[in-house]
Amino acid sequence: MKKALSPSFKQLKNYLYLLPALALAYLFSYRPFVKTLLNSLSIVNFSGNIVEFVGLENFINLFKDRNFQISLINTFKFAVMFIPLDVAFCLFAALLVYRKRRLTAFNETLFMLPMAVAMSSAALVFKAIFNPTIGVINYVFRLSIQWFDDPKWAMLTVVLLGVWMAIGLDFLLLLGALRSVPQQLIESAQLEGAGSVATFFKIQLPLISPTLLFVISTRLRDSMLLGGPVMVMTSGGPQRSTQTLVYQMYVEGFVANNYSKGSAISVVVFALTFFLILFAFRFEKRGVFYQ
Amino acid sequence: MRKKNVYKTVVATLLGLVVLFPIYYAFVASFFSLRDFTSPIPLLFPPQFSFHNYVRALTESLLPRFMVNSFIVSFFASLVRMGVAVLAAFSVVFFRFRGRNFLFFVIIATMMLPGDALIIENYLTVSRMGLLDTYAGIMSVYLLAPVQLFMLRQGFKTIPLTYREVAAVDGCSDIRFLWSVVLPLSKSIVMTLWLHSFVTMWNLYLWPLLVTNKTHMRTVQVGITMLGYAESLDYGPTFAAVSLLIAPSLLIFLLLRKGIVAGITKGTIVG
Repeated sequence: MKKALSPSFKQLKNYLYLLPALALAYLFSYRPFVKTLLNSLSIVNFSGNIVEFVGLENFINLFKDRNFQISLINTFKFAVMFIPLDVAFCLFAALLVYRKRRLTAFNETLFMLPMAVAMSSAALVFKAIFNPTIGVINYVFRLSIQWFDDPKWAMLTVVLLGVWMAIGLDFLLLLGALRSVPQQLIESAQLEGAGSVATFFKIQLPLISPTLLFVISTRLRDSMLLGGPVMVMTSGGPQRSTQTLVYQMYVEGFVANNYSKGSAISVVVFALTFFLILFAFRFEKRGVFYQ
Repeated sequence: MRKKNVYKTVVATLLGLVVLFPIYYAFVASFFSLRDFTSPIPLLFPPQFSFHNYVRALTESLLPRFMVNSFIVSFFASLVRMGVAVLAAFSVVFFRFRGRNFLFFVIIATMMLPGDALIIENYLTVSRMGLLDTYAGIMSVYLLAPVQLFMLRQGFKTIPLTYREVAAVDGCSDIRFLWSVVLPLSKSIVMTLWLHSFVTMWNLYLWPLLVTNKTHMRTVQVGITMLGYAESLDYGPTFAAVSLLIAPSLLIFLLLRKGIVAGITKGTIVG
């Protein structure tokens, strides 16, 4: 009897090892995802229970809502400013130091340092540096910009913080890619008279393009999920000029307790990020993954 | 050609110093008095080194408590995370059973559902479980790390399956095999992932902010944004707190720099 039982018990044990991971995946990923989908199609009361199924009504109202349109536009505005700045800076920096010379190790370290700083610390420091009256930025550049009170400028401070936080990782990824371009290719091109600009566009850029596209698509996804820096630095203001999708979702969910609307925004964020992650994986060739 | 290289190095150094500036400023400003902050010409070096701001940050707020909270959460969450991922990866790599790959995929696919977009429902779940304002509540949604599970599986796969057969013949139990063969052989990847987990947990902001209402349960990244000094331009204690947080992570970062560079450029740790 005991012998007959043991093989199936053994089989069961294999599943037991997977059980904690599966339970967590169900409890904190799949279940909330399905519930968010259902909530976005229903009217939900204050305690988070569904009252009535209303189909796509929440989405129709959402896209008519001026507030949501602003969030959507701001989120893309962030991405459009953040990604080119980030990529241009990191690519430029990587091109400066990819060939090992004196001081390159030191410079590399400087570019990587932002990785060691958490978002909320960085946001606090930026808030002080950009302070209009006592901040260093306005003084050094002889400006009198109200960085956090002028809707024209507030988004730029969030973008600059985003770039600063992204530099460490993106610089390293591009540096790694540039260093893996075979040196003979570059040398033979230069022997044939190609300048450094031609070498870059004809040889380096095509060869690092998978990494470059990977960086761009993951940063696009990150942009869709922008929320924390806005919370610490600007609280979505002034005049909603830095209000992003995730920030509005937070406000609808936790300040206004409007779960249907919050869930509908979540679904929009899911849809946007989903395609961008798929896009990122297409360019992911070396087993690099984001969390 | 040589001249060009000098230019490159100079430009790179200047850019690097610009990148360094916010960190430098945080340390410098942690020594400023209120008067130094409001000086008409912003100072870039403290006129005197007084630890007054540090004393204030540590005594006037619950900063020490916030740090303990963050430490507990980061330490135990990383531990549980590793445990969950190790068990799952172990099972998938060393055993053959039906649905193995499918179940693994089901777990890994949670990567496609970014946690920040699930905060409303997860908040409701945690609140119904009565875990608001608890360490368990802060850790809960981070106990499964699909990326780490994936990397562990890659690590475990380098161990020959014959080891497992030999061990089974010798009457070695599965758990014993995991504990005394698999884990020692994967020490470096497990330690790297654990450390990475710790830092990730330590740096969390949004989720801990949502699930803690009581001041004494806040984690340090949430706590430092609510010290309340910034409103009066009296940034000193805030910068002292920020410096206290940046210093150890900078130190760890510089010590592990080579490993991090190798890891990222070869594509093993990211995020």
